[in-house]
Amino acid sequence: MSTLTDTNTLSAAATPSPARGLRRGDRNRLLKLIGVILISISVLFPLAWMAIAGFKGKTEVLRSPFQFFPDMWDPKNYIAIIQDPQFSRAMLVTFGGALIFTALSLAINSMAAYALARLDFAFKRFWWVFCIMPMFVPGMAILLTSFVVVAQLGMLDTLAVLIIPGVASAVQMFFLRQFYLNMPVAVEEAALIDGASRWQIFTKIFIPQSAAVFVVVGIGSYMAYWNAYVWPILTITSPDLMQIQQFLGNFRSDRGNEWGLLMAGSTIAALPTIILVLFFQRYIVNGVRISGIK
Amino acid sequence: MSALAPTETITGQIAGVSPGLKRRRARAPRAAKHLRSNRTAYLMLAPMVILLAIFVVWPLIYAIYLSFFKISFYKGSEFVGLQYYMFVLQDPKFWNSLRVGIEFAAMVVPIGMVIALLIASFIKTLSKRMASFMKVTVYVPAVVSTVVASVLFLFMYQDQGVVNWFLSLLNAGPVAWLNNPGTALPAIAVPAIWLGLGITTLIMLAGLLDIPDSYYESAELDGAGFFKRTFYITIPLLKNILLYLFVTGFTGAIQMLDLPLVMTNGGPVNATTTPNLFIFNSFRAGTPYATSFSLTTALLLFVVLGLISVLVFRLINSDKAVDG
Repeated sequence: MSTLTDTNTLSAAATPSPARGLRRGDRNRLLKLIGVILISISVLFPLAWMAIAGFKGKTEVLRSPFQFFPDMWDPKNYIAIIQDPQFSRAMLVTFGGALIFTALSLAINSMAAYALARLDFAFKRFWWVFCIMPMFVPGMAILLTSFVVVAQLGMLDTLAVLIIPGVASAVQMFFLRQFYLNMPVAVEEAALIDGASRWQIFTKIFIPQSAAVFVVVGIGSYMAYWNAYVWPILTITSPDLMQIQQFLGNFRSDRGNEWGLLMAGSTIAALPTIILVLFFQRYIVNGVRISGIK
Repeated sequence: MSALAPTETITGQIAGVSPGLKRRRARAPRAAKHLRSNRTAYLMLAPMVILLAIFVVWPLIYAIYLSFFKISFYKGSEFVGLQYYMFVLQDPKFWNSLRVGIEFAAMVVPIGMVIALLIASFIKTLSKRMASFMKVTVYVPAVVSTVVASVLFLFMYQDQGVVNWFLSLLNAGPVAWLNNPGTALPAIAVPAIWLGLGITTLIMLAGLLDIPDSYYESAELDGAGFFKRTFYITIPLLKNILLYLFVTGFTGAIQMLDLPLVMTNGGPVNATTTPNLFIFNSFRAGTPYATSFSLTTALLLFVVLGLISVLVFRLINSDKAVDG
């Protein structure tokens, strides 16, 4: 806390004599660097701890007296959990499902977003409210009847039950619509004069320009699918379709004291989304900007 | 379903806070009237509308309908009117879960927001490179699933775990964090704060960057320190964003399900049974009227939380919310 105060006051006060200013600037930079390191360590510590624990042996992992690092950096837990056919299957099935889910959700939500942002049609206001209303319906209120609905549709224990019900998302649609509302109208008008149809304008002009917003929204969909837990444990019973979070939850209740293995598995399960974020970091940080908060 | 996945709120939160929305809408010309395109528009809307109708609207109507009936597999359903609502409102376990939910939110939201505000203020003073490094660092926990966070913190809270090791350095502990009714809820609040920190910080930072530097400069000339500047400049100017984050955070935290489900399953002695966990467990309990009972509880909760969300959405979407 005191670091914050110091750096703040110093940053603006560094003007007077050049010599003093330089020294102050250095001290200032050092304090900020310390702040950056401290915050990063405390925020990332749990994840690092999870990865470290994955390297520890069965007796080592919760040994007393406490030991920070493993005796040996032996990746045997990581190898063992990857070789567990159930685990690797869950990873692959969830990954495949997440890809289909993301692609479908981008397609469906962006079409609706375009129509609601750029087209004028009968009962537009009604459909807008209809599409945005689900944002205010908590998942729990419809969880049980959604379960009944998918059961009646014969979707239980199929990949469809994981993908279809969540694919249309008011939140994602709202976000995409914000983006389309802000696109300049001139290009669209020129294309209309040239005889392009609305659909052509959408696929040839809007979609190519949507890369940044698609990345942000797509990562949101991907994570929603990858991290889902409650819906899969309700609807999926066959081990073939088990989702990764479900696997971890079951592992925890069935083999709860094998912490090394569980931490290794959790580390691997957390990696895809973390890699995604690191890879697309610029888009995500700018996502706040795209939406118009700036 | 997807509404239960915490990460989906990320883009939701970003999308929701847009004080500039109204202004922008006015600036971006809408499609000209003569270009009405009913057919294309309906075709493009159709998949979304149909899916929402089947998987959101119908389940909601169906839930409301069912809450008036006693459902039994042996006899036909029997209309009972508001009886279940009475049952739920008279059940001390329901009120207990509500209290737990509110206590949980009261821990998670204010603490999370204060930490996020401090970190965001700090990031604002950094150079561009360090700032983008920090933004990514702070955001990383946000993409970790609640299940992974649950097992991870379960592990850290073990008797020989890292948290008790820290305590032993201070000559305290070990504490059985999750087995003690007094400490279990705060122990679950910590991962919740950790998971939510990234997005809250990024949204606050976006708001902070909108405040003109000249405000701070003149305050500094007048000798205002960090806390004075925060209280007299930052907080008043961030009012809308803070309000938004508070309400979405609060309604989100009260609905927490995954963390207590995996970490404690509501125990010890219901100390961590949040409203959603109460609903979920009474549904899974399979007692004769479990379905109707849990449905009704969920609806009661929905009415309250839904109203709050709609109010806030309107507030943020209205011109009144645009200031500064």
